[in-house]
Amino acid sequence: MNGITDGLKDIITKASLAARGSSLSRIRRRNLSEPAAKWVVQSRIGSEVGYALSIVLATSGCSHARSEKGGCTMCSYILDGAGQNVPTEDLIQQFQNALTSLKGLMAPISVKVYTSGSFLDPVEVPPEARAEILKAIDEDDRVRQVVLESRPEYMTDETASLVREILGDREIEIGMGLESADDGVRFLCINKGFSLSEFETALKTAASHGIGTRAYVLVKPPFLTERDALLDALQTIIAAAELGATTISVNPVNVQKHTLVQRMWSRGHYRPPWLWTVTEILKESRDQVASDVNVVCDPVAAGKPRGTHNCGKCDDAFVKAIRQFSLDQSTSHFEVLDCGCKSQWSHVLEHEDFAQLVHSLRFHIP
Amino acid sequence: MTEFLIARGHDGPARIGSYSMGEMAISTPVLVGPSHADSLTLHYAALNRDELLKDTPMIVAIPGISYSRLDRLRDYDSILLPSLIADEILGLTAGSLLLKQQMSFLKEQQIESSGAIVRVPASLDEGSFVHVLQEFSHMGVRAAAFRFDGDLGPSDYRMVTLRSQLPRNWFALAIGRIEPYSVPLMHYLGFDVFDASRAFEAAAQGIRLWRTDAELVADDETARHCACSACESQPDLNILSNSKLIEILTNHNISTYRMVLSESIHAMQSGRLRWLVESLTHATPSLASFLRRVDRGLYSFLEEFTATAGSSTMPLIGPESYNSPAIKRFREKLVSRFTPPTHKRIVLLLPCSARKPYSDSKSHKRFARTIESAIGLARHGIAETILTSPLGVIPRELERLHPVAQYDIPVTGDWDAEETAIAVRALTTHLEKFEESVVVVAHVSGGYLDIVKQGEDNIRQALIYTSSDGSATSGASLDLLDETLRDMLELVLDGEYRRTDLEDTLRATADFQFGSGAGELLVPEDASLRGKLYRTVICQVDKEQVCAYNAVSGMLSLTLAGARRIAGLGQNWVRFEGKEVKGGSIFAVGVKEADTGIRPGDEVIVIGQDERVVAVGRSEMSGIEMCEFEKGRAVTVRHKLGVTT
Repeated sequence: MNGITDGLKDIITKASLAARGSSLSRIRRRNLSEPAAKWVVQSRIGSEVGYALSIVLATSGCSHARSEKGGCTMCSYILDGAGQNVPTEDLIQQFQNALTSLKGLMAPISVKVYTSGSFLDPVEVPPEARAEILKAIDEDDRVRQVVLESRPEYMTDETASLVREILGDREIEIGMGLESADDGVRFLCINKGFSLSEFETALKTAASHGIGTRAYVLVKPPFLTERDALLDALQTIIAAAELGATTISVNPVNVQKHTLVQRMWSRGHYRPPWLWTVTEILKESRDQVASDVNVVCDPVAAGKPRGTHNCGKCDDAFVKAIRQFSLDQSTSHFEVLDCGCKSQWSHVLEHEDFAQLVHSLRFHIP
Repeated sequence: MTEFLIARGHDGPARIGSYSMGEMAISTPVLVGPSHADSLTLHYAALNRDELLKDTPMIVAIPGISYSRLDRLRDYDSILLPSLIADEILGLTAGSLLLKQQMSFLKEQQIESSGAIVRVPASLDEGSFVHVLQEFSHMGVRAAAFRFDGDLGPSDYRMVTLRSQLPRNWFALAIGRIEPYSVPLMHYLGFDVFDASRAFEAAAQGIRLWRTDAELVADDETARHCACSACESQPDLNILSNSKLIEILTNHNISTYRMVLSESIHAMQSGRLRWLVESLTHATPSLASFLRRVDRGLYSFLEEFTATAGSSTMPLIGPESYNSPAIKRFREKLVSRFTPPTHKRIVLLLPCSARKPYSDSKSHKRFARTIESAIGLARHGIAETILTSPLGVIPRELERLHPVAQYDIPVTGDWDAEETAIAVRALTTHLEKFEESVVVVAHVSGGYLDIVKQGEDNIRQALIYTSSDGSATSGASLDLLDETLRDMLELVLDGEYRRTDLEDTLRATADFQFGSGAGELLVPEDASLRGKLYRTVICQVDKEQVCAYNAVSGMLSLTLAGARRIAGLGQNWVRFEGKEVKGGSIFAVGVKEADTGIRPGDEVIVIGQDERVVAVGRSEMSGIEMCEFEKGRAVTVRHKLGVTT
């Protein structure tokens, strides 16, 4: 990157920090023995459909978000965390509490362990806690798939072999936020703080231990036009699959509190992606990516002003189609979608590239 | 090679011209739209994302984030340089960085700079903008695009402020959301291209755009009648399929844009663009406040391009006219350049008349008869001064000058607070120029009278009111005026008087055109004046003509001899590259330097290489434009030095 881009990057980092403000110091104190969240949904597991338990552990949160780098421009998941270091016993307790949700469910089961940061970060989740949690999973025979989440810098050879050792021959995926395959977009627009090659190294390290990679792809980081966003996500999915990602999780930006994205959104300088954009990305990428790589999407706040949305009339149908697609990978769910707002979306694709005007719809309707 | 040429004519910063892209020359101002906007002549596309029209030059936008395959650009395309969307959130430093990035892009990619268009960041300080523009200018760049969100709020105003910093020969694009009612305003502010894409957005939203408002075409409401060919083709919009409806609305909306643009061009050519802009301020309050802000903040930008001459009627309807550049400039110039002749012992305040020049009106003819019969030749000791809105005060001597002879206001006798304040200030400032012993006779009634009364405390001179019954033209009032003036004959006007109206007028006009002191130089004591004020007056000194007063323009035209007399004042000079002028025009390329005070329409003095006056003529552009422009007619020559052999 040249000097000019470095300058811009610094400005965005500062803006990101400023948007975060003092929110980190005001995180609500919580019961440290309860997870931040847990939920069970139907999910695609390999080629079967089963149940997935998602657990969000309340930890001290993402190291990148805690640092002077300001964290990512669209993310404030750290505010769901504990706002302090959580002792090993509490973390284990949180996990045990969440596991009770699996009572009575049949195999196959997938367990997804999220934190508001990196499960593999030894500061966030001490190695003893990590080992205990993984052992607890290993004790349940119904669990076929385990998904963990981490920034790539924590996916070391040593950690990978420890994880593999405890979980035996289960299917393991490590979720890592690639967000964009374009270093410019990732560094500048997202402030993610790592390069494509660092991501690739982590992916290869994981693969060498038979651990798959679930690559998170962001749809519409700030400072992109709608069509920039569409093309960038599509290219990223293709690139991630080529690198060897086993699953692609497509994540349309939702406007979270205390982020740069929210600042922009509240001033009319950002609009979350159209659902048309999301379905277009899913359809196109399904056609272009090898069929053994699942492309899934579970949009947050879909149909709402803060999430991916269309005109309001067709949003429910779009969200339903996206969920169906994520289960069966069939693009036929998208073919029946239509709405009068499609021409508005087409206009935005075309005109934003030329005018670089954010087409938020707050104005101009008589 | 891409080139923008500005054609003759000015109305504020608005101009007409021609933008050549390869073989294609596009008349400007012009609308721009996507490639499927068939009825438009200029189109845009995003590189590698939109299809480029075959063999047709386009404005091609380079995407901000990742671009590739620049080889698809064609020689004749104009290139809109890459930037970041929503950059305004990042502040001023980011704005300068983004401009620098565009500059390095231009250098690295070796793009033909004449076809490059700078994308002006939304957040940028004027100083660094001017600096970067100089660098771009050196590289040969001549175009910039400014993005409007259509709210006419602070962000749009910032864009206009930055626009005002653009070198005068650059091509200026207004892109983003430009509502039809904003097109004349944008034209007035010196933009050459207007993005008509709102036509498509609105159509997709089911909205029909009209000249000053918009209509949501809904199922349950009867659509407005429209006679445009698109709407006529389908009388019932409610029964159409969505795609057909959008098609019709798009065509309708585009034709609204085309209509408004054509209206704007015509208004500019007839010198009425400012009026059109003012009249459209009633479309929305935001447009009205935008124009007020522009008048306040960008006065010197607007004024530089506002002609000092013109013949078409200038309607001044409401408050948006009070500070329009031609009006404000007149008021300011009157303060700085008018000096009352010392032989004036009385200031007679009179109401304005609808008919211009005032002297031609019935009321002023009556005033003149009354004055003449009352005091005869001593009338030349009276400074007749007309009170009016929004020009303030007009000395009789300047009544034929632009815009005094052209303005037209709705007259009801009721003055609002702002125009009253303007007139009070103008009156008291004007009277300060007269000696304390001068008597002010206020022959005014109604709103005019209120102005004098409000100013009373700040008037040093004795003040007499002569309008008895609420009308300045009634028999009783005129009798009172007659009586008062007769009394004055002994008290104040007791000297010897001779006819001085010709010299008073010519001197005042000379001072107004060329600065204080010009009157005495051009019309000295021994000058011989012949002619009629309502036609032509020739002024000779030592049997040589120095200038002529033309009643139609109310201005003086100089001869070379006249120019030599006032050249030393250092006003309205144009320094010419050559020794002698050939032909009837001087082109900007031949102008080395010029008085930055020159405005289009001014009488100018052309000085040659050897410091001699080589020609006189009328300027076609501002002094700064003459210096900055590489092409175009700067001066239409009236007289020039004979060709020496």
